[in-house]
Amino acid sequence: MSVPGKPAEVSGVTLFVAWCAILVLGAFSLVMRFAHIGSFTFLTGFGVAVIQTTLVALFFMELVHEKPTIRFAFVTCLSLFALLVTLVTVDVITRSIPPLQDPPGTAQRYRG
Amino acid sequence: MPEHVAEQFEDIGKQAHAARLAMWIFVGSEALFFSGLFALYAAYRCEHPWGFGVGVEDNTVAWGSINTLILVVSSYVLTLAVRALRHDKPRASALLIGVTMLLGMAFAFIKVGEWLHHFGDGLYPGGWGHFYEEPGHGDPGTKMFFTLYYCMTGLHEVHIVVGLLVLGFLLYKVLRRQIGSWAPHPLEVGAIYWHFVDMVWLFLWPLFYLMPGAVGR
Repeated sequence: MSVPGKPAEVSGVTLFVAWCAILVLGAFSLVMRFAHIGSFTFLTGFGVAVIQTTLVALFFMELVHEKPTIRFAFVTCLSLFALLVTLVTVDVITRSIPPLQDPPGTAQRYRG
Repeated sequence: MPEHVAEQFEDIGKQAHAARLAMWIFVGSEALFFSGLFALYAAYRCEHPWGFGVGVEDNTVAWGSINTLILVVSSYVLTLAVRALRHDKPRASALLIGVTMLLGMAFAFIKVGEWLHHFGDGLYPGGWGHFYEEPGHGDPGTKMFFTLYYCMTGLHEVHIVVGLLVLGFLLYKVLRRQIGSWAPHPLEVGAIYWHFVDMVWLFLWPLFYLMPGAVGR
């Protein structure tokens, strides 16, 4: 099937397989929620979400058959998103400086 | 059927490509809009791992999971609607768009029901309500968790409502035969938006329902 402005269309079988994969991954994530694996719950939950959204973007949103301009827009956005979240998280995790204290005598000065 | 090619485009293919590129850029800006909230979640979760764990434990996994299933099914049904329109089956496409809208409405109603349930428990955004005065719920992280929960799921709900309005408009266009196999791109760009809303939820689900325990520093 020729689609205006697109090189090709994702096949029905591929869409169905991608959808099944998303559901299976979701079920896996749900099972892991009750598996008592501590911090690994975070890894499985977040990792599965990344794979699921990749499948949605590639096959449901048809990025796999899109033109380079659209792929570029997607990759740019994804990179900026990852950069922002990573920098903020790393900043918080690696903080070792105690909160700033008022210089000596400040309280007295403002008390009048 | 007329092709409705705008005068600035040589053909319908270029017009469709421009429409999809514009939607992708819009989706990108929306993702960056959400990224601030995701970054806040990550930062506060690192600062208050215990309080966030309590918050996740208090959310109902079943409702979050049913909503995930509803949204993933709706996304798949919408891809089928796009395919049907491309293959010149406007009636099937309209039916599938209608099913997608029903699923979207089910999601929205469940989410509102969940909020009302939380309100009934005395759990409001901003640390308000008697829930936080109960033993084990007084951690600042729990207050922050539920404030972010209401902000992020509320913002997502707004996107769901906008998506439903867009789909309703597209359904009308398909039924009136104003869009069809000769130019399916309006439905394609609407579908890209709906899939984006689905993608955001695929991250919100684990963050607010599936990650109990002290994950942080």
